[in-house]
Amino acid sequence: MTESALPLAGLRVLDISSFIAAPAAAVVLGDWGADVIKIEGPEGDPNRRIMHDSSNYPKSPVNYPWQMDSRNKRAIVLDLKRSEARAVLDKLIARADVLICNFPPLVREKLKLAYEDIKPVNPRLIYASLTGYGEQGPDRDRPGFDATAYFARSGLLDAQRYENGPPGVPVPAQGDRATAMSLVSAILMALIHRMKTGQGSWVGTSLLGNGLWSCGVVAQAALIGAFLPPRPPPERPRSALGNIYRTADDRWLQITIVRTDKLWAPLCRALGRADLIDDPRFSVEAERRTHSAELAGLLRQTIAKEPYEHWRQALAAEDVTFGVISRPQDVPDDRQAVECGAVVETEIPDMPRTLADPIRLGFARQRIAHPAPSLGQHSDEILREAGLSAADVAALRASGAVQ
Amino acid sequence: MTEDALPLSGLQVLDVSTFIAAPAAAVALADFGADVIKIEAPGEGDPHRHNYKRSATYPRSDRNFPLQLDGRLKRSLALDLKSGSARPVLERLIRRADVMIVNFPPPARERLKLRWQDIEPVNPRLVYCSLTGYGETGPDRDRPGFDVTAYFGRSGILDAARYEGGPPGLSLPAQGDRATAMTLVAAILLGLRHRDRTGKGGWVGTSLYANGAWANGTTLAGVAVGAKPVTRWPPDRPRNALTNLYRTRDERWLQLLMVRDDRLWDRFCEAIGRHELANDPRFTDREERKQRALELHAEIAPVFAARTYAEWEKVLATTGIPFGVIERVVDVVDDEQARHAGIFAETTNPEVPRTVNNPIRLGFAKPRVSGRPAAVGENSEEILRELGYGETEIMTLRKSGALG
Repeated sequence: MTESALPLAGLRVLDISSFIAAPAAAVVLGDWGADVIKIEGPEGDPNRRIMHDSSNYPKSPVNYPWQMDSRNKRAIVLDLKRSEARAVLDKLIARADVLICNFPPLVREKLKLAYEDIKPVNPRLIYASLTGYGEQGPDRDRPGFDATAYFARSGLLDAQRYENGPPGVPVPAQGDRATAMSLVSAILMALIHRMKTGQGSWVGTSLLGNGLWSCGVVAQAALIGAFLPPRPPPERPRSALGNIYRTADDRWLQITIVRTDKLWAPLCRALGRADLIDDPRFSVEAERRTHSAELAGLLRQTIAKEPYEHWRQALAAEDVTFGVISRPQDVPDDRQAVECGAVVETEIPDMPRTLADPIRLGFARQRIAHPAPSLGQHSDEILREAGLSAADVAALRASGAVQ
Repeated sequence: MTEDALPLSGLQVLDVSTFIAAPAAAVALADFGADVIKIEAPGEGDPHRHNYKRSATYPRSDRNFPLQLDGRLKRSLALDLKSGSARPVLERLIRRADVMIVNFPPPARERLKLRWQDIEPVNPRLVYCSLTGYGETGPDRDRPGFDVTAYFGRSGILDAARYEGGPPGLSLPAQGDRATAMTLVAAILLGLRHRDRTGKGGWVGTSLYANGAWANGTTLAGVAVGAKPVTRWPPDRPRNALTNLYRTRDERWLQLLMVRDDRLWDRFCEAIGRHELANDPRFTDREERKQRALELHAEIAPVFAARTYAEWEKVLATTGIPFGVIERVVDVVDDEQARHAGIFAETTNPEVPRTVNNPIRLGFAKPRVSGRPAAVGENSEEILRELGYGETEIMTLRKSGALG
């Protein structure tokens, strides 16, 4: 497969964004062939340092978050507060197909990077903006992050908790990465629009909107006045057949049986408790619900007696739907993760494996990940491609507008 | 704005899928103009139609609110794909379709002859999109996967989302399904772009597992290079009492984010009415406050518990001390910001008058307004007539049980 066969080959993308959600969308476009130029200020994207700045990130000598969110990009440093840099930016915009930014609206206006400012430079450009809380409204200018806008403000964390327990815990960048896929979809819709009409456009999405889209069932219920009952802890489940159980080797087994009428008998056989199949306390669904605490108690005792591997084989043999609460450290070596293409090899010497984006296409494969760029690594080459002479580049460097 | 201006107007989509992730992707296409035909079993239809009554983890309601999310703007054709006489109908539909979405695990697809290789000869320009729990290859490819198992459990999210010593974190109903739907949309749009360039359709897809792993990508990339996942300490045993969650009198959770406590410590003690703490020899500098986090927590937790969040908001608002609240969904639906951001949309369905909007925003088009979702087979006859079937043929199909 040649790179030209990739569906986004030839697409020029300017990534003027920081942190995760918006840069991750640019990564996905790059995975499928787009030429992505990362434009940073002299300080660089703070995501270059987030592993050290955030206490919630696993620590490593390898800057893995930066590698994840910047693979296959080229980097240029432009100090957008200087007017000479602006002229350069306009040259890049003039030849770009997509621009991705995540400045809050007020900052965009100050930098003259609002869509209205840019449209005259390139009316065919697709301008994609990510915000924390949307483009209008009292909070439009508040910087929003994954933990605050996607998780806390949307009500996700409040809903993700056990009865009387503290709020749920967001995993680093979880909402950012999900949001990136919406931004990619928005950009691709605009490309379809441009093909039909010849016109570029503004597109965007917000972390808050994506948080609420993902907890849509709960939000839709709330819109008609229905509410999620508090979630009882694993010892007191609402349904013993939709619950988690600790195994003898301290793993958590997840039983999720939706069609309990079909799978009750197979479950009992898998657990070595065929005696329960016709037990009047549990033989029909209504009874199982009524006696769910009792049933959960039996399952808890039974499952605690054997290690996970025993249960994995026994449940699979009976075709009972189950899962295990995998630990993050299990995933990179999970054969299924590798075979389904979620964990892939890279050309990055200190990070030989990474996570592929979740899109799969029969007619093309994601580009292999090459190292994320150092600050300003490709400044000269990008400027020369944009038509600047060596002397122009030297002058820009001397002025501090380019590094 | 006319419907023609929508980017996907004219696109014909067959939604041959069940439950949530794949049908929600079809909804997202319909929001932006696609003509979506839901093909489902006569009688009960997609089992998801009954989730609001059956699932113990769903909010209770006598209204089918999930269907407004996952069934809106679709037409329903009740067709029994196991019946031989249904096949020619399906193939006529496939011949004029642009996109087909399925979520059968590979063996069911094979049994029903609905794999891409079975379909490609019928319409080589089709974008065939499949959702699986765990991927199209590998030892678990045939296992049915659900949101909570494949997206959350298997990917390490629930394990990572827990407090030290506590049970795994919780996910909400369909939370990962709905995030995955946006990936399916992106995959389908890439398929359409490929078709525009080459004239050929193709297979596209994603899995719940790959989406969970992508969402957990930061942590997974870390452990793949040998880093240890970070454990969160529960709010009653914080490592730093000044960047922690506190329960208020009205059962809200106030998030204190005093990263610069060197500058704000005196002001904080004053604001919470415990000015004597500022001179407490146990807490004179940052290092001591961190080392004695549990002692400090014991001092301030009862203070926060004594007032409501609204009272604390007033007290802290002018102090420069960073804080926030863990919002509740019940409040968000009436949040002014959510209204400005267009996060909810009005419907013309009196039973479910508002719904959660598509998170995609386009400057040139607005998502369509949705009405009442179609009942099982509500549009069967109209769709068959569009395909050129006459009354007698429709009657025969109905009698055979293939059409509902």
